[in-house]
Amino acid sequence: MRSHVISTKNAVKTIDPLVVKNLKVWFPIKSGVIQKTIGHVKAVDGVSFSVKKNETLGVVGESGSGKTTLARAILRLVKPTAGEVRFDGINIPKANRQQMKTLRQKVQIIFQDPYASLDPRQTVSSLLREAMHIHGVVKSKSEATEKSLKLLRKVGLDEEHLYRFPHEFSGGQRQRIAVARALVANAEFLILDEPTSFLDVSVQASVLNLLKDLQKDLNLTYMFITHNLAVVHHMSNRVAVMYLGKIVELADKNTIYRNPKHPYTFQLMAAIPVPNPEAKKKEILLEGDVPSPINIPLGCRFHPRCKYAKEKCRKVEPNLVEKDGHFVACHSEIDFSAEMRTGESADG
Amino acid sequence: MSDKRNAKDTVLEIKNLKVNFHTYRGEVKALNGVDLKLCCKEVLALVGESGCGKSVTVQTLIGLLPENASVLEGEIILDGDNLINKTKEEMRILRTHDLAIVFQDPMTFLNPVLTIGTQLEEVVTMDKDLLVEAIAIEKPKQKLDFTDLIKMDDSATEPKNLKISRRETKRIAKRLCAAILSLVKLPDQERILKQYPFELSGGMRQRAMIAMALARRPSIFIADEITTALDVTIQAQILHLLKELRDKIDASTLMITHDLSVAAETADRIAVMYGGNVVEVASSVVLFRRPFHPYAQMLLKAIPNIENPTSRLEAIPGTVPEMIDPPPGCRFHPRCKYAMDACTKKRPRLKEVEKGHEVACYLY
Amino acid sequence: MQKDSEVRRGEWEARLADIKYMIHLFRKNPLVMTGTIISLFFIIVALLANFIVDPRLATTEGYTGGSYPFERKYMWSANHPIVWGPDIALHDGPEFFYLGTDGWGRDLLSMIILALPVDLYNAFIIVVVAALLGTTLGALAGYAGGIFDEAVLRITDVFFAFPGLVLALVFASMFGRSIETLQFAIILVWWPPYVRLMRGQVLSEKEKPYVEALKALGAGHLRVLFRHVMLNAIYPILVQATMDLGGVILTFSALMFLGFSPSKSLPELGNLAADGYNAIFSAPWVILFSGLTMLIISLAFNLVGDGLRDVLDPRLRR
Repeated sequence: MRSHVISTKNAVKTIDPLVVKNLKVWFPIKSGVIQKTIGHVKAVDGVSFSVKKNETLGVVGESGSGKTTLARAILRLVKPTAGEVRFDGINIPKANRQQMKTLRQKVQIIFQDPYASLDPRQTVSSLLREAMHIHGVVKSKSEATEKSLKLLRKVGLDEEHLYRFPHEFSGGQRQRIAVARALVANAEFLILDEPTSFLDVSVQASVLNLLKDLQKDLNLTYMFITHNLAVVHHMSNRVAVMYLGKIVELADKNTIYRNPKHPYTFQLMAAIPVPNPEAKKKEILLEGDVPSPINIPLGCRFHPRCKYAKEKCRKVEPNLVEKDGHFVACHSEIDFSAEMRTGESADG
Repeated sequence: MSDKRNAKDTVLEIKNLKVNFHTYRGEVKALNGVDLKLCCKEVLALVGESGCGKSVTVQTLIGLLPENASVLEGEIILDGDNLINKTKEEMRILRTHDLAIVFQDPMTFLNPVLTIGTQLEEVVTMDKDLLVEAIAIEKPKQKLDFTDLIKMDDSATEPKNLKISRRETKRIAKRLCAAILSLVKLPDQERILKQYPFELSGGMRQRAMIAMALARRPSIFIADEITTALDVTIQAQILHLLKELRDKIDASTLMITHDLSVAAETADRIAVMYGGNVVEVASSVVLFRRPFHPYAQMLLKAIPNIENPTSRLEAIPGTVPEMIDPPPGCRFHPRCKYAMDACTKKRPRLKEVEKGHEVACYLY
Repeated sequence: MQKDSEVRRGEWEARLADIKYMIHLFRKNPLVMTGTIISLFFIIVALLANFIVDPRLATTEGYTGGSYPFERKYMWSANHPIVWGPDIALHDGPEFFYLGTDGWGRDLLSMIILALPVDLYNAFIIVVVAALLGTTLGALAGYAGGIFDEAVLRITDVFFAFPGLVLALVFASMFGRSIETLQFAIILVWWPPYVRLMRGQVLSEKEKPYVEALKALGAGHLRVLFRHVMLNAIYPILVQATMDLGGVILTFSALMFLGFSPSKSLPELGNLAADGYNAIFSAPWVILFSGLTMLIISLAFNLVGDGLRDVLDPRLRR
């Protein structure tokens, strides 16, 4: 069953739990009386990557970069237009009912908005019990309650929280409930879709710590989607940068933060506000807005905002090329490491 | 308005402000004696987590508290007047002239069926003085510079009763609008003035909102989480704009944010709020270098830092207090590792520990 | 280890606290409270009608047209003779005719009390059937989308276009004048708005993140729709149904008034009003009191509906 994963072109030495190959999610734009398709929103437009066991892959991008659609396509919440998503060798878009049942237990997602991702009319106890019931992991009501309590304690909540409605909890607590629900069955892979972007910093810290602890205790693999580069730096082993539906750079965390190769990554890094007023930051401003994913620029999709754009960039779309585990999709090989380092030394 | 203000002068002072909300579950003691001073031409960031009272402070300041709120105590002094005692109508006039505010979501404050130009013209034509002055300094075939007009605001105190014809008003308003848009670095002003809000991107909309606020030549500019809904790169552009504007506009800026990094990038001074109190005020450099209040210290440790990463973040133990039944004394004491007997009894008031560095804590 | 009973109690306490909060919201509005008290009063009277008033008072069997001995009864006091119709009282009714008598010589107050269960029961049946039919179809259409959605919408449009009165006429001529026919006719024109309402609710509800979260959990469509989406979308339907109770009572009695009544002597508000209409100048109290009763009932239910909307508004709950 797994042999065909190994035999693919970009030979994967150990079997990675998640392998995504040339995934495309296009949403048709329909118009007129007969609902003719007049174009596509290319939310995800040919994305390939793999996630290694027990690692955290950070996915960074601005709104409209397609990072959330990517997560939804992996979970088959939207139908991919093309490409494959293999989890433990099973192609998720084509999996049958039985395979999907096990996949849904193993692959789980935590959503961004803890205020909306829980059914407002369900108590914690009943929502956890329902999840267990769907996965068929418990037999009796009391067993479910016992297991719910164990889960709640694991995520830092308590018995007293069992019979409350979501609106009685703070954002951080709700996110903990969502984590507990994701873990009712034997989850192995968690997609964290901006899990802390609605939370305050002090709460964010505790949720991030919880996620780190759980990863260690339960051998979880994470895909951490966020627009917050500091958080992704804190959480991830490797980081993928997305721009307009494509991965433009993917590398080890330290490499990508110290030695970014793609101009977009570099400018994104420069735009992060630093919690240090004395940092002498270079004013590198990325001009303009993200183009709409309906009219993606020809050639390299970043070229209209790129200062280093050459003639070739306007015509040919660069491929994601690997060099020592550092994937970059850029024609010009620019070394930003010097500039990143001067930025660092200035901070002392 | 007084003559040339000194940089050290206090423009706005909030003294011991206490605000309660009446709800089904009881009295929500949202503000528990807020003390805050806004100096002339500075950028003061009011930083705190959700529920700390920063938005209630702003609502009270601009006189837009919800129906179920009541001010128990305290004063808000602007130009010698106590804003608490003003009527709704007086507050409305104040909001159109002296207090300009920009909110997080520009789409809710822009009228979706009117063009940016129409909405901006409306603001501009309300201020007759502005029109008169614009005509006075206007030079043909040369773009108007709005910064000149801002500078004039202080000196022009004598009432002008000049009549301007409607056509003249229309013409000068158009030029003014373009001038204001170029102040906030919006390119291609003629086209943008003809566009509707939905045709602009989030960053441009926020610039248009800033333009509308500045067009009134306010003495206090309130930026309420203006970059929260924006992407990092767009946020960087807006913060950059704010930094550029601070010398050009003749206003003191009160910036509300939950993001310490944003405050660090733009503010001169930072006031940290917790549980309805300002717990620490210092210049941003000092606050980040040596925070005094235990809450501020822990808050800084809770932010993931790219420059010196740690494997674990230090979360603040416990939860934000219930404002219906808040802990007595210092509202932070249940979560504070330095809590003493005194902390549980009486609320510490802000005290100047070093020059320009105030802390509300019994440790100092 | 917790026992099942404890689990159940915990759940109940949580729900109870929620209900208490709703009652608090409800009580804040005096107008709504008035409406609630009035409608509850009418419902209780309707339930107990047969105990309050002897149902035999409604029969007109003994009436042969003035052959009974004259027996005058009074309204309020002996100085206010107030009798219409045959100069008789058919039965040994109450001591006074507080609201006068109707054209059969029956005590009007008793007749109105006896009419309440008829009207309320029919309105209830009609609203429940129409709402169930409409919400189920609307929920399925909204959730499934596509061709099914289109088909349901077009069918609904057809029924929307039908005038209720004409439909009732057709049915009456086809199946004869009976209360069942009337119910059927009113249901037929009353369910389409529920389809529209529920479909809209489901359309907005199914896009919410919690639905996606449930799908990611592996919950089936039926579970998502019936256990979650519908439960969250049902509240506007409850409001609409409560308000419709008043509306249906009006429609039902209006059709009765117009002559769809199976029997002229049936104590029913529309019937009584029709009776009074014939003597609007000689005995205005008959149409006045039966009409007023209709007005008060439908107003009361509308007020309750209004209050429910405030209570169930999710914006107030956060």
